[in-house]
Amino acid sequence: MAAVAYYIKGAEKGRVPTLRRIAGIDAIDEAIGRAVEMGKPIVCSHGIADLRGATSGPQTLAGLSVLSYVAKKSIESGARVIVPVRQVEVWPIAADIVEMEYKLAGKEDEFNSEDIRFLSPQQFGYASNYMGILMRERPAANIMIGAYWAESLQLGETGNRAGCFQISGTAQTSQIPFFLVTTDYCLIGEEVYSAGAYLTQDGPVIASLAGQDVGRLIAVALSVLGVLLATMGSNLLLDLMGM
Amino acid sequence: MSDVLKRIQIPIIITAVAALLQVIPYYFNIPVIDSAASTAADGVILIVNMAVFVGVISISQVHGRRISRRAERWGYSVVLMISMIIMALTGLPFESMGLGLKNPIYDFFFMNAMTPLSGTLYSILAFFITSAAYRAFRARNIESALILVAGTIVVMSNAPLFTSSFPFFIDMKNWIFDVPNASTMRAVTMGAALGAIALAVRTLMGIERGYLRGGGED
Repeated sequence: MAAVAYYIKGAEKGRVPTLRRIAGIDAIDEAIGRAVEMGKPIVCSHGIADLRGATSGPQTLAGLSVLSYVAKKSIESGARVIVPVRQVEVWPIAADIVEMEYKLAGKEDEFNSEDIRFLSPQQFGYASNYMGILMRERPAANIMIGAYWAESLQLGETGNRAGCFQISGTAQTSQIPFFLVTTDYCLIGEEVYSAGAYLTQDGPVIASLAGQDVGRLIAVALSVLGVLLATMGSNLLLDLMGM
Repeated sequence: MSDVLKRIQIPIIITAVAALLQVIPYYFNIPVIDSAASTAADGVILIVNMAVFVGVISISQVHGRRISRRAERWGYSVVLMISMIIMALTGLPFESMGLGLKNPIYDFFFMNAMTPLSGTLYSILAFFITSAAYRAFRARNIESALILVAGTIVVMSNAPLFTSSFPFFIDMKNWIFDVPNASTMRAVTMGAALGAIALAVRTLMGIERGYLRGGGED
């Protein structure tokens, strides 16, 4: 946390690190362009989790950041955005994000609240409704970034059947393989959290990713040290960490 | 967009305060903060339960309009609205009036409609896995060839008819699970945890604004 805060402060003084390209996030613009060319909508979902889960809540936040970008670009380009929602507490946020983008684009008359659809709080009620949207609307693109569980494969496969250009992303390790085989681009793990920073190109937000890398270096160093100590028969590191 | 900024300052402050109320009691024992955190947690439960009505309103708006316009497949909307009303009314938490989870009508629809429908949706995953496997198990490049080989070994190792003749497939499967799979999953998990921490810090500091209206632009 200290490293993240340090790099954010550094960015405020003009020291902004360079961000590597992430193909899956770059493809979002391609998806929007495809929707405009085909005259079809884009379906953009932020997962099925609420905002309170320790591991799933941040993924929903990241998904909402992507939704904000997708809505902004789509509305500017004239593409319609459909947002399937499972959690009632997230629905007003998603609706507000999209409605605000319409207002900022001066197209508030075009905002249709029916496109921000609360489907069902039930996991498979949501999944069946989502699959129905994909098959009925035949969207040009299906963007799924957030926390997903067993429905990930159903949604990805149905998107394939509907002929969608698909971009997915989740930090749920058990679902990453399903997204990898069913979608065109897949954001893996931490890429989901960096999507917001990547899309906004905001200096302090990008800098926080460098702080994240410091944490990664510490984790790798501790892993190597732990392997060496364990090989030599020592539990020193485990004892120090209370494990 | 200064007016937008003013409007997003309030949720940023609420987010920061709520986050600190959760973080501080974890590290320090300050009775006043503990009490405030408990009150905030109760508030969250209240807001989430109130949000249920938002969902009901949203569904009613969408499907009410579809029914009134006689939109395509509007009959399904009628079924949905009737089902929602029946379940909402019979499931109200007034047990003295015979309502709630033990209400026979609620129980009937729950056991005979909702449960089998959910089970059916879950079970069709098997068919989705088959079609996904067909797509994944094609050796188009080195990566997909590796998936093909690993997948074949895992599938074979789970078939008793096969492992009775070739028991070493079980050892190969265990190695795949314990070495390349476990190490990759741990790396992804650690990376995701670090990403979540960084996102939390950005949110706490109010610089992660993508989830706010207008993308938090100022």
